[in-house]
Amino acid sequence: MLLSGLLAGVELGLNRVLALDSTALPRLARLSGKVIAIDCSAPALQLFILPSAEGLRLATQWAAPADCRLRAPAASLLQLAISAQKTAVLHSPNLELEGDSAVLLELAGILQDLELDWEYQLSCWIGPVASQLLGAHLRSRAHWTQQSLDSLHQHLADYLSEESRSLVGQREAQARFTELDALTLDLDRLDARLMRLDHLSAPLNPSDNA
Amino acid sequence: MNDSRKGRDAEPTTHFGYKSVPESQKAAKVAEVFHSVAAKYDLMNDLMSAGVHRLWKRFTVELSGVRNGNRVLDIAGGTGDLTKQFARLVGPTGEVVLADINASMLKVGRDRLLDLGVAGNVTFVQADAEKLPFPDNHFDCVTIAFGLRNVTHKEDALRSMLRVLKPGGRLLVLEFSKPSSTLLSKAYDTYSFSLLPMMGKLITNDSESYRYLAESIRMHPDQETLKAMLADAGFERVTYHNMTGGIVALHRGIKP
Repeated sequence: MLLSGLLAGVELGLNRVLALDSTALPRLARLSGKVIAIDCSAPALQLFILPSAEGLRLATQWAAPADCRLRAPAASLLQLAISAQKTAVLHSPNLELEGDSAVLLELAGILQDLELDWEYQLSCWIGPVASQLLGAHLRSRAHWTQQSLDSLHQHLADYLSEESRSLVGQREAQARFTELDALTLDLDRLDARLMRLDHLSAPLNPSDNA
Repeated sequence: MNDSRKGRDAEPTTHFGYKSVPESQKAAKVAEVFHSVAAKYDLMNDLMSAGVHRLWKRFTVELSGVRNGNRVLDIAGGTGDLTKQFARLVGPTGEVVLADINASMLKVGRDRLLDLGVAGNVTFVQADAEKLPFPDNHFDCVTIAFGLRNVTHKEDALRSMLRVLKPGGRLLVLEFSKPSSTLLSKAYDTYSFSLLPMMGKLITNDSESYRYLAESIRMHPDQETLKAMLADAGFERVTYHNMTGGIVALHRGIKP
């Protein structure tokens, strides 16, 4: 009952978030009536996901048969959730998939493509002008923060390679790597040549002439 | 001689809470209770159960196995909590019938669902659970949540539900039951007979209806008795799940 209450809370929050994307609910409506079962093997936990035009319904048990069943340990499920290449992760040996995988991939695609319109939601509370001003301010702050982080990264790299000489510079490292690659190739060639010489000298062995 | 004939001719009685009333009067008395509380029914449910009734109903929907295109009957559906969820699950190709014997509850339920935009696949029927006005083998799932204890002839109602279910269809009875622990039972009694009528007085200005609620819960069959009643009515694979320490139980039976 506790887990059911927790899921009800998660479901409510998730559906609020889904409602912020104008395309998510119509896309979910196309999956209406489908049942996706997620069997987490470690720790043992079962979750049923039922998409509909109103959002997602989450349940710990569902009496109707599932259209698609995914069985995997929690780590693999997490990897699947955050990976951009979901099809590749689905082929992992840790994952077992039964039924219609297109339903699962479609749902994953919808969740991955979410573009949440926070500004619209904010405008419902504080009005369009204030939300636009606040949105513009937050966007400018975010842009400034991103620029500052890029600049810090660049300066730190320059300091470590040029000033303190703790690390080699990018170009210097590249030149060394090219030299190492050339050396590796030379060694491979030499190795091949020695093998060839060994092979040529083999018929001169007296035991072979006997 | 006259006295004994009088005794034989006297109308059989049934319980209305702790009182004994003629069978013909119970439905009218129950109707009075629900006419009185209909307007504040949802608010009182939330207050009395601290919102937990939503989880009990959620669990009922999870066990119903209702799918796209199914036909569902929600008996004693009241303000439509279950109907709302079933309407979403059956989709536009399915059908949900919200049936209630009480016109006030039905009206509140219909208005609430229409306000929520639940329409198109929901119909509203004023019906007696003992004599359901539907054809045989008609529904995939029948539910009755917090309604069976108010029915005068429970066996007749269960047989009527069996009749309208398709073979393989599920009956779900969500109802107050007997707490499994003595300590919980004592705390629950104190709550039911002291706090509940007081809350009823404060919110709906009607403590008697909530006293009836507490009494009718005590008069309702416990988990095992109701399970046997379902089996006697003809249901198979009857099981029940206790919730919140047995305060509420969900019985499920399948029509063979």
